[in-house]
Amino acid sequence: MAEDLVLDTAIRDWVLIPLSVVMVLIGILRYFVSKLMRSFQVPDPKIVKEGQVIVRARNLRAAANFIPPKSFRSRRVYFSNEENGLLFVPKGQAQNAQAQMFSDPNMAMDMMKKNLSMIIPQTLTFAWVNFFFSGFVAAKIPFPLTQRFRSMLQNGIDLSTVDVSYVSSRSWYFLNLFGLRGLFSLILGEENATDDTQRMMQMSGFGFDPSKSLGAEKDGLDIVQHEWALPKFEHRAEAVLKKLVS
Amino acid sequence: MVSKTEESQLNRLENQVDNGGGGAWEYLCLARKLKVRRPEKALKYGLSILNDSKKRYALGPEQWTLYEQVAIAAMDCQCLDVAKDCIKVLQKKFPESKRVGRLEGMLLEATGSRAEAEKAYSSLLEDNPLDQVIHKRRVAMAKAQGNISAAIEWLNKYLEIFMADHDAWRELAEIYVSLQMYKQAAFCYEELILSQPTVPLYHLAYADVLYTLGELENLQIAKKYYASTIDLTGGKNTRALLGICLCTSAMRQLSKGRNKEDKESPELQSLAAKALEKDYEQIADDKLGLLTCALRSLKI
Repeated sequence: MAEDLVLDTAIRDWVLIPLSVVMVLIGILRYFVSKLMRSFQVPDPKIVKEGQVIVRARNLRAAANFIPPKSFRSRRVYFSNEENGLLFVPKGQAQNAQAQMFSDPNMAMDMMKKNLSMIIPQTLTFAWVNFFFSGFVAAKIPFPLTQRFRSMLQNGIDLSTVDVSYVSSRSWYFLNLFGLRGLFSLILGEENATDDTQRMMQMSGFGFDPSKSLGAEKDGLDIVQHEWALPKFEHRAEAVLKKLVS
Repeated sequence: MVSKTEESQLNRLENQVDNGGGGAWEYLCLARKLKVRRPEKALKYGLSILNDSKKRYALGPEQWTLYEQVAIAAMDCQCLDVAKDCIKVLQKKFPESKRVGRLEGMLLEATGSRAEAEKAYSSLLEDNPLDQVIHKRRVAMAKAQGNISAAIEWLNKYLEIFMADHDAWRELAEIYVSLQMYKQAAFCYEELILSQPTVPLYHLAYADVLYTLGELENLQIAKKYYASTIDLTGGKNTRALLGICLCTSAMRQLSKGRNKEDKESPELQSLAAKALEKDYEQIADDKLGLLTCALRSLKI
């Protein structure tokens, strides 16, 4: 349909703006609730040590060319030695990390709490939007879309001839859900619990972190070729001094 | 380490507060953030804020951090009563806190009851074995008592867990140098160079230790590191220039019997000597004679 539908300004006043306002308020509420519920997590000494080992190994890899070859080689052996090297993780232990993650009661409780604080408000708001704001066209998207998006964006609207650019309020809800992240980081500062999308991405890549990164560091260290940069420095120092003296 | 801009900012604030221009709170915050140790100023301005109840309430929850800062500054200046009062206030507010427990331990240390302080620190560490500050306080206490071997032991244990803490490596290196355990000190300096390769201070210290160890091989490496220090500081570091001269002459003495000439940078020594003379002309003219004598004796 090439005609433009004229949408009532009342829709803007009573649907779009209240929905955004409500989502912002719910986000702020979640932030404060999560702050209250955050339990003090005692860091595990083993994990701290592994973290530090990784930093040290990374430094070694990065600045390897600054220390004499003998020192570099002895350090490399220290890290990747078969029996008691710091980075060496025997195969059996590697898989246990994830199982451990789930069986550790504290960690499981923490994950549960974080998930709950994310899922419940989302579900409630979604249900509320569906109940009150369905069955009418809420907004027009400024660019044309294909017919594929019809089922996604026009859920409450049962007319199949309406242009796909006219969407229901459910799509406005989703737009707000992903878009308000920037606004929250402005208002609430960097660390806020409303980063849903980041959390969802984090959940999939959880658990293997410690042992895998150790193995990765070890491989990286094995690959490094030591090329001592210091002789070059002598020539550079000569050049500097020549310039200084002349 | 504090960068130049931060240091100049801190000094500017300090001047401002000294001359009555206000801004004491910003000065204290900056000093706390940069972990700079200026106890007299911190004590004076901190107390002035704390004793003025209006200003204290204006700070809100930050006043407890200020109490902690003033307590530590007071202990530094040996005003132990002030420190005791601050700690009492903090204890009333946060009865079971580990941070306050740490301050109590420090107060015990300051009053000289070292054994009790040691007990307090050990019990705090049992509760929380990963508290870095308490580990470091234990090392500092052992060092102050003169028990250097215990200090080394504690520091090594600390570094086994927290091996990325370069301040600790630096402290260990200095302790080893004071005990003349140069090989271990060289290892620590290598760690420091690895973590911060562009800081000329570590190159210089490493070169010094290698030069002290002697042996032709070490001297060659030391010369290279003096050269890198010169490169990193743009030729302004007098100690590195002298180091180059000394290294080259020592190498020449050691390799007198063999015919091994240093082919890599033959001009480095003469250039370094010239740069040194130029520096001394500009800065310390009266000592130029001493320098020329010393350089001449090296060329033997």
